[in-house]
Amino acid sequence: MIARIKQKSPLFIKISFYIALLIIVVAGAVAFKTTKNLSKSSDLVVETYMVNVQLEQILSYLKDAETGQRGFIITNDSLYLEPYIKSRESINNSFAELKEFTKENDFQQNKLKDLSSLIDKRLNNFERSSSFSINNNLESPKFNPVFFEGKELMDAIRIKIGEMIAHQKEELARRQEDYKTDVLLTPIFLFFLILVSIALVLLAYYRITKDIESLKSYNEALETFKESANQSEIISKHGNWIWNIEENSYTYSDNLFRLLGEQPQSFKPQLDTFMSYVHPDDREKLEEDVKDMMENEHLPFVHFRIIQKSGNIKRFKSYGQTLELDGVKKLIGTTADVTDEFESFRLLEERNAELERNNKELSAFNHVASHDLQEPLRKIQTFLSRLVDKESDNLSKNGQLYIARITNAATRMRLLIDDLLQFSRTNKAEKVFETANINLILEGAKQDLAEAISDSNALIAADTFPVMRVIPFQIQQLFSNLISNSIKYQQENSIPKISITYKRIDAIEEDKLIKPKKEHYHKLTFTDNGIGFENEYAEKIFVLFNRLHGKNDFSGTGIGLSICKKIVENHKGYIFANGTPDKGATFEVYLPI
Amino acid sequence: MKIFVKFDLHSVCTKVLENTLNNSQIKHTMLGFGEVDLHGSPTEETMEKFAEILSEYGIEIVQDQKSILVQKIKDTIIDMVFNDDNNLHVKSSVYLSETLDHSYGYLANLFSEVTYTSIENFIIIQKIEYTKQLILKGNLSLTEIAFKLNYSSVAHLSTQFKKTTGITPSSFQRIIAKRKELLK
Amino acid sequence: MNENYINVVLADDDEDDRLFFSEAFDELKINTKVSTFNDGVFLMDYFNSEEAILPEVLFLDLNMPRKSGLECLKELRANQKFKDVAIAIYSTSSSEEDVENTFVLGANIYIKKPNDFKSLKKVLSDVVTLNWQYHTNGLNKDNFLLRL
Repeated sequence: MIARIKQKSPLFIKISFYIALLIIVVAGAVAFKTTKNLSKSSDLVVETYMVNVQLEQILSYLKDAETGQRGFIITNDSLYLEPYIKSRESINNSFAELKEFTKENDFQQNKLKDLSSLIDKRLNNFERSSSFSINNNLESPKFNPVFFEGKELMDAIRIKIGEMIAHQKEELARRQEDYKTDVLLTPIFLFFLILVSIALVLLAYYRITKDIESLKSYNEALETFKESANQSEIISKHGNWIWNIEENSYTYSDNLFRLLGEQPQSFKPQLDTFMSYVHPDDREKLEEDVKDMMENEHLPFVHFRIIQKSGNIKRFKSYGQTLELDGVKKLIGTTADVTDEFESFRLLEERNAELERNNKELSAFNHVASHDLQEPLRKIQTFLSRLVDKESDNLSKNGQLYIARITNAATRMRLLIDDLLQFSRTNKAEKVFETANINLILEGAKQDLAEAISDSNALIAADTFPVMRVIPFQIQQLFSNLISNSIKYQQENSIPKISITYKRIDAIEEDKLIKPKKEHYHKLTFTDNGIGFENEYAEKIFVLFNRLHGKNDFSGTGIGLSICKKIVENHKGYIFANGTPDKGATFEVYLPI
Repeated sequence: MKIFVKFDLHSVCTKVLENTLNNSQIKHTMLGFGEVDLHGSPTEETMEKFAEILSEYGIEIVQDQKSILVQKIKDTIIDMVFNDDNNLHVKSSVYLSETLDHSYGYLANLFSEVTYTSIENFIIIQKIEYTKQLILKGNLSLTEIAFKLNYSSVAHLSTQFKKTTGITPSSFQRIIAKRKELLK
Repeated sequence: MNENYINVVLADDDEDDRLFFSEAFDELKINTKVSTFNDGVFLMDYFNSEEAILPEVLFLDLNMPRKSGLECLKELRANQKFKDVAIAIYSTSSSEEDVENTFVLGANIYIKKPNDFKSLKKVLSDVVTLNWQYHTNGLNKDNFLLRL
């Protein structure tokens, strides 16, 4: 969005403005021209009018003069000659005006010349006619032709004036024709142009407003972001800095100052000042790193300590990356105070080490205890057997019975210790993982149980397994325990059938796997047709020494499945049991890939 | 530089016997199964010297009849088991009595009297021995070995192997392999 | 089985076990001469000495003071002189891997100390008999592995 504003909008606005300007100029020119024409037309109208007026005036004056003269002729009273005397002057004035008005028009000028000579003749005629009256010579036969000449002259003047007026009218009409279309279209054209330029201006205005809006909101967002960045700096204890590469100047955020134990912006950000806070032991390396930063224009993660003025030592972690904005290269960096993390990590490591030690001790104890308990027990059993062999004749019936009971108890104890030992071994063993051929391991388990398998005629059907990263001995034990269980808990009068299937699954698909640590798992399913169990015990059967049957019904101490669970846990996997009484049992083993 | 050797004890012994006979200049015919027909009657001195040389190789001249027969039984069994054109598919009791021309009962009693073990046991030991060799050779699968030695199934072979030695065939293989690794 | 007797040696620091061992051989019909050592160092001193009569079978307990059974095993198997001695590890229960490991290191036999006397006699008898079979029939002693 900003890019568009940066590149396309200014261009667009510039262009619209120039176009609008151009349009206005063009419109102005056109308007000017039309106005000029219009004024020319109106001038012409005025001229025509004036010419008409003046010509009428002249005619009127002449008529006045004529009337005056006629009056004088009739009355011989010089009173009636007033208009005649005045008219001369007026006619001259009018004439002068006319000459002025028509000075552009050659045709009219010529006509005027004609008119002028006619008027002079008429005025002359007035004189002659008047002189007859003055001389009381009205009866003279010369008077009528002179008087009649006067009338003829008047007619001629009228005609001339008529011609002039007609000509003027013609001129006017012609000019009207000429400029009629202009006058009609120009306003429309101008109106249109103005509309267009208004439209452009509106468009540009709209665009500018929009751009301003978005810039405003961007700015707002930036402001908000800046504020939240400031806050996040405070919360997460880091500060930002900018190295202006070209100018070699630094800018520190407020919090960077606080991290150094100073007030925000309390000194000018400079490399040396910063270095003065750095722990003397770390200074050399950091200076190296800064040198590299200046060369490569990149700062990879660096760790160093600083000592605040108060004496507190803090651990810092810095990182910087170059950013180019408008052709200016800046290195934007972050420095975080990781003292707490470092401390927590150290504590965690310590605790972990302690836990591991404890665990190892417990395991070792477990193992040693089980192992060492075997010795005395074995002695007890062996000596008991010697007693039975050699001395039973010397024993009373009770004595023999007691020895038998002791032997039983010792045997039971032996079983328990054997199992405990096996369990502790599963725990104690160094967890060495190998990429192993699971099919071979299964083969090994089957061979181990060869006798049990052949005695019970058990049928074992297995899929082909891929190689897996496992602890081979433990997985063999797992197979062995599960298979021997299936054989042991077989249904009467039925051949044990065991099937082991394989499927590669995604952890998400299996609901049983709560918080799986890996994405994919190997799923091995052991199904048998034995006596099964109630599903409510599905979890209990994995508990140490937990049995669902009395010790006389089936042999065993109930540790087999606990060992299976421990083995599966060693591999960071899962095991689930499912049973249907008198139908069979299913064990699902998940091992991470 | 280390090399590994395998040897056929039978041929080694026969060769040694021959060489010794030749070196002692005793005219003879090899009859197989540890039997040699000496031409003429060598002197006691020659025989003594001969016996001495043989004893250095751990070879004994069997004196009494019973021991001789027992040795024959053993040799027959070994041949029966280790020979590639296999006679294991015939019942061993039948095979023995036919080959040695005595009743099986007599042979069995004699054998236990002298060796303190039964013929069956001896046969089993030999079969397991051969199984070990075949496993180490590596070119036959356990199923093929089981068939070759006339076991009804791999499980049967595994069972007997484990019963006799206490370990499974795969464990055996693993152990020998690891021993070789160790020697490197 | 033999006009001669079979020489058998036991190295075990436990007095009771040595007692069981000797009594068991006493009761067996096999002609045996039994010697016992209660410590690995004494054992190796004897074996390395000039007058040593090497046994057919040596029974080695793993947990012995001063020198453990495994150390003795390694030393013995490193020496060609003792290659004809069948070595049986005679021990209380061990993990599968440990058992296999003793074989890998050169033991021929692994015996888990039985819990009653009868079993002990049977075990010892089996060992001696089988070993003698190997011996008389020229079977490959390298492949002689037995676990009881």
